[in-house]
Amino acid sequence: MSFARAVLAIAAKDLRIEGRTFRTAASTGLFALVVLVVFAFAFDLDTVKRLGAPRVVPGVLWVTLSFASIVGLTRSFELERQRDALTALAMAPVDRGAVFAGKGLASLILILGLQVVLVPLTLVFFDATGAVALPALVVVLVLHTIGLAELGTLFGAVASRLARGEALLAVLLLPAATPILLSAVQCTKGALSGEPLAANARWLLVTAGFDVLYFLVALLVFETALEEG
Amino acid sequence: MMRRFPIVYGTLVAASAVGLAAALSQIFLVAPEERVMGAVQKIFYIHVPLAALTFVAVFVLLVGALGYLATRKAVWDHLAVASCEVGWLFCTLVLVTGPIWARPAWGVWWTWEAKITTTLVLWLLLAGIVIARGYASTQEQAARVGAVLGVVAALDVPIVYKAVDWWRGQHPIVFGPGRGDPLAPGMGRALGISFLAVTILFAALVVLRMRLAVLEESLAAAEDAAWSRS
Repeated sequence: MSFARAVLAIAAKDLRIEGRTFRTAASTGLFALVVLVVFAFAFDLDTVKRLGAPRVVPGVLWVTLSFASIVGLTRSFELERQRDALTALAMAPVDRGAVFAGKGLASLILILGLQVVLVPLTLVFFDATGAVALPALVVVLVLHTIGLAELGTLFGAVASRLARGEALLAVLLLPAATPILLSAVQCTKGALSGEPLAANARWLLVTAGFDVLYFLVALLVFETALEEG
Repeated sequence: MMRRFPIVYGTLVAASAVGLAAALSQIFLVAPEERVMGAVQKIFYIHVPLAALTFVAVFVLLVGALGYLATRKAVWDHLAVASCEVGWLFCTLVLVTGPIWARPAWGVWWTWEAKITTTLVLWLLLAGIVIARGYASTQEQAARVGAVLGVVAALDVPIVYKAVDWWRGQHPIVFGPGRGDPLAPGMGRALGISFLAVTILFAALVVLRMRLAVLEESLAAAEDAAWSRS
């Protein structure tokens, strides 16, 4: 089985499970909504208005997104723990890199699906719809979510192999994702103020580089991460 | 290998004790007091070598982790875990000594400047590795977790630095091209001796921690043997 077919088969498996249960979508979506409402209570909304939404909303959005992603990524490997499906997956006669890419692709699609609902909702809640450059915003979201999904999938595999290790994912993922989060907030701020993508070209380049680098790193080390015992 | 350990770490521990005593006497008795900052500037002689060795530790962690991934030999993991934990300790000391100096010098305990923020993120990354290793049920699992996370963390550090640098920039740059020698003669010697002493201390702690890892391994093996006999 070729690498690409293996990737698609594994991603399709995860998405099919999700399509029949909607459990990840329900839990991450609801969690994201809760975090968003908590943010609205945590900030003085007059101050937000005075500062201008583009200076506050990117932070709100990315904290919400990364927290919700952690819930989703934990779910992604919880599935594999039932009846030790992860060992079966690790034994599949395909490259371990394909297992990484497949799980990562499914998580990426699920997080992007969450964003389709969450991002407009955030913009409406915090009145940030004024000057949005929509194509730029989409590029920014996809590029940064790729990095988040990659690191999350790698760390999710590591954490899922450790007994009672689920709680580790947040502790491992958020510090390692520092460059992604910094860049995401800067670029989202640009997109919400209607700036063209070129204004944040260097951030986007570094993020693209980050995405490629950790894709390669994960391909190399995922086999070790999946090993049992 | 085990037999040669006591000689190696005995020498290193003795050398770091002598070195640290020499460094402290240079710092407090010989080096001139800085004109503007006064006595508080003396933290610089400890802070800078510790910070430098913290980043050396990350590099050694990367080497150990890659070595383990490539060969699966336990000695590479011993090197990785030793440099990770000693690096974490040094990183903690950097984060403690920095604010003590920053408060009188800059007027604030903390600022989100690139080097400081990177050091804090590095502290979190190293803490994550140490904690994740603690969850492992076998030595091999701990080694694998340490290697995977070690590679990711070590590669992350320069990217984090660059990203935070763009986000914010206010660390005192003491050394750099076109600045000449900024230090008074006595200061340069104190810093040099301190650098040497802290480097030897780092090596001593890493070797001691590696020895501990070897002992842990033989204890685990002995326990396994005892269980299988009974």
